[in-house]
Amino acid sequence: MKDIQKAVPRVDARGKAEGTTAYLADLRMEGMLHGKFFRSTRARARIVSIRKPELPAGYYIIDKDDVPGENVVAMIENDWPAFVDREVNYLGEIISLVVGPDREEIVRIHDSIEVEYEELEPAFSLEEASALKGGPIHGKDNLFADYFISKGTPDEAFRKAARIIEDTCDTGLQEHIYIEPQGMLGWWEDDRVVLKGSLQCPYYVKHAAQEVLGCDDEGIRVIQSTTGGAFGGKEDYPEVIGAAIAVAVNRIKKPVRIVFDRTEDISFTCKRHPSRIRFRTAVDEKGGILGMDIDIHLSGGAYETYSDVVLQRTMFTATGVYDIPSSRVRGRAWATNMVPSGAFRGFGAPQALFGIETHMNHIARELKVDPLEYKSRYFLQKGAATVTNGRIYEDVLLPEMTRQIREMSNYKRKYDEYSKSFGRGIGVAFALHGCGFTGDGEQRLIKAVVRLVKREDEKIEILVSNVEMGQGLLTTYRKIVSKVLGVPLEMIIYENPDTARVPDSGPTAASRSIMVVGYLLQEAAKELKQRWDDESSFEVEKHFKMPPHTSWNQDTLQGDAYPSYGWGVVAVEVEVDPVTFEVETKGIWAVHDVGVPIDERVMEGQVTGGVIQALGYGSLEKLELKDGRFYQNTMTDYMIPTSLDFPKVEGSFVENPYPYGPFGAKGGGELVFDSAAPAFSAAVEQAIGKPISRIPVIPEDIMEVLS
Amino acid sequence: MVGNRRTYPARGDRRVHITYRPETLREALSLMKESGKEKRVKPFAGGTDLMVRHRGWHGTTSGFPSDILFLDRIDELKCCGFYDKEYHIGAACTLAEVEQDDRAPSILKEAITLMAAPALRNRGTLAGNICNASPAGDTLPPLFILDARITLIRQGGSRTIPIEDFITGPGETVLGDDELLAEIRIPITEYTHLCYRKVGTRKANALSKLSFAALAGIEGGEIRDIRIALGAVAPRIVRDREIEASLQGKAFDEIDLRGTLEAYGKLICPIDDQRSTAAYRKQVALNLIENFITRDIREDIQSKE
Repeated sequence: MKDIQKAVPRVDARGKAEGTTAYLADLRMEGMLHGKFFRSTRARARIVSIRKPELPAGYYIIDKDDVPGENVVAMIENDWPAFVDREVNYLGEIISLVVGPDREEIVRIHDSIEVEYEELEPAFSLEEASALKGGPIHGKDNLFADYFISKGTPDEAFRKAARIIEDTCDTGLQEHIYIEPQGMLGWWEDDRVVLKGSLQCPYYVKHAAQEVLGCDDEGIRVIQSTTGGAFGGKEDYPEVIGAAIAVAVNRIKKPVRIVFDRTEDISFTCKRHPSRIRFRTAVDEKGGILGMDIDIHLSGGAYETYSDVVLQRTMFTATGVYDIPSSRVRGRAWATNMVPSGAFRGFGAPQALFGIETHMNHIARELKVDPLEYKSRYFLQKGAATVTNGRIYEDVLLPEMTRQIREMSNYKRKYDEYSKSFGRGIGVAFALHGCGFTGDGEQRLIKAVVRLVKREDEKIEILVSNVEMGQGLLTTYRKIVSKVLGVPLEMIIYENPDTARVPDSGPTAASRSIMVVGYLLQEAAKELKQRWDDESSFEVEKHFKMPPHTSWNQDTLQGDAYPSYGWGVVAVEVEVDPVTFEVETKGIWAVHDVGVPIDERVMEGQVTGGVIQALGYGSLEKLELKDGRFYQNTMTDYMIPTSLDFPKVEGSFVENPYPYGPFGAKGGGELVFDSAAPAFSAAVEQAIGKPISRIPVIPEDIMEVLS
Repeated sequence: MVGNRRTYPARGDRRVHITYRPETLREALSLMKESGKEKRVKPFAGGTDLMVRHRGWHGTTSGFPSDILFLDRIDELKCCGFYDKEYHIGAACTLAEVEQDDRAPSILKEAITLMAAPALRNRGTLAGNICNASPAGDTLPPLFILDARITLIRQGGSRTIPIEDFITGPGETVLGDDELLAEIRIPITEYTHLCYRKVGTRKANALSKLSFAALAGIEGGEIRDIRIALGAVAPRIVRDREIEASLQGKAFDEIDLRGTLEAYGKLICPIDDQRSTAAYRKQVALNLIENFITRDIREDIQSKE
């Protein structure tokens, strides 16, 4: 084991465990006002009129008319209005913000606002969106994005096929359920708006607030408050809250705080994109794969957010860890009258991986071969061409990882035994996860900058915009810098980022914080070490450069979609109750390649958390849309796993240092989410002897499949 | 009045409501009588259902539509124990207290152990679970098969009725406006086979999709007594004494299993909701009945022969 891997006590653990750490709901300011959103009660409508009550002194209703800049939540496309202008496109869209000192009075004002709607016909499902039910929601065709990529000679593959095997795989909505709900506090200081919030991407929020205020770079400052979990859910939605609070503070010039209730959070914040993926595979006489045709549909909700990029990741992950000689992949992200879909751990990859892993299992089933053995024939190897005709530049350790997972789970004996009767099953699923932004996004869009400061007192401060959100960054960044400099961890300072102090090192997303930003910190620390004795205090700045081996064309979507990949394999063993169709998970095993883990305990935490979260996605977390409203919008009805629902995850890592990651580390935060859901459904398939192609796999569906 | 009078503004009508917290049953009953006709007072035991039902926006007081009468200080309602061959549970006893009482019926304890989480069981009461009268109330199927009776008390009188007669529909009971549920009485029951199954949305801290409680007394290969109750599969708990009687006195090869399931099938009329489907609830309910008769009892008897 490398020295860097050895676990150290987490810097933030004590305060969080003891409850002394202050989260957003704990923050108060002199004269602070509360804000409550007034939201549409229709999924699709035109607003005819709004009747506001007479307001007592000190109370405000903030809406589109208060926006000094552009009335948009700036993300990729500026299509999401900060406040409804006239058209409502999802149930819960923000019409206005009621602000004031007394919360009982705010509720009274909120409840007496009357809106007259002219109702329009909503489109909720993919079928309704593609049929343009009620007319297009977005553009002329309801498509946020429509891409096509091709590799090899797919036409020829299908011409030569002895048979074609088909599947349609569906994945559902998922809510993040970060422990701390969304929240933000804004105030007026030094002639500008300051926002402090539970968020992943301070500069994204800054950008959104800047657009809505129409101010320059100096007109807004964003600070991260200690963030109680995020999972991608605080990559996009804080921009929505931030834009609204910025407008309110700009008008009122007093502190305003918004903290969501859990029900408001579940009901109206972004969800994981539901997907439908159709696979057609051309197979020769001997059962060999000639080519694949993959058609991806994502449900994007009412506004675009990051759907375009999520879709790209789904497409670039569509053939999973397999070297498929020829392929065609088409991807479409549709607009629907639902809360906008957004970022969620995995960012489009889990949908693709559920699809390809399930489809590969079904091909193996058709051919009457052990799926693990069949999948092993097609593993990508170093030098192989990817689905975007890029290259795999690293050693692929899947054969060794497969050996380990077989041994740990006792796969062969169980697979053979469980094939003979009803009730038990074991499933294995593989994953790869492209680290960092898709394509050349790191260079073209992010352009990360990091700074390290040597102070007079010989302490070193890390200045980056990446945040601790439970994944251990406060500890791992310090560890990287302290190890390079050879100084104790206590000498390194790393505060929650404040855009007035830190450069833009990009968002805390895309499994990039360690591999991309951590590497820049390592390089900065090396330089700082060299120059240590030159001056008593100085600053080192490092800018991102694409690793020299990569090339990408964003117009054709050809080349290296990612500079490097994390790799994973998870095995799940289940038992299905023939009376109630409930599934008991008997064992979970996981092997991951994240290059070199920066801290073994932090990474074990990621594996356990990611795998169990994915098992929730695969088996419990049913979230249905009924007339535009989420049917399971409380913690009573939206089921995430408890500690009693799954056994301990038995995990291990293989070492595979990446030259452009700190101490050889690659990304791992999302990879660990990618395999468990398809492994679970594969295990249930074996237990019940019937194919499954939809998650979550719930007892109701198992009953239906069996009848 | 020993109880605290705390006033707070109610949302909407801004009428001031009063919270009472008496220390004797006499005071409580007097309060119930005074305000009973206008239904102005809501008895409040653990509050684990009421607080959720009336919750407001965070930071605001709960939006109760009436005055509240806390029962938690009334010692007379906190007794648990055996008198006259019946196990008595006072209305202010928490679920955790029953769960930890060695004398409490095991099937009731099993049902409680699978309810919610420890913090809620420390607060919630058995009486509250009964008065809430949810078809999915987890303690109800065990109480039904144990022939539990409910004692209701008002100023100047009391009555004791079977639990089946107490609950009349979802959220509906025969509790009078001036009455309090004082205690639950469970007679000693003899049985050879017992089964409780909660089919929840997950393994802990979950509401039931459906629940099943059954017991049987088998003597010389014959069914002396059999009782089956199902929760969350109809507007009320399903327990049918006629079907049970039709099985009594029979040996196993004499049982008309198909006919029995058909008879239960007519009583099971579940709904689709955010937790499950009607089709699933019905199928699994019938599976559980069949499983109890054929596997839990018959195979057990055969294995002993």
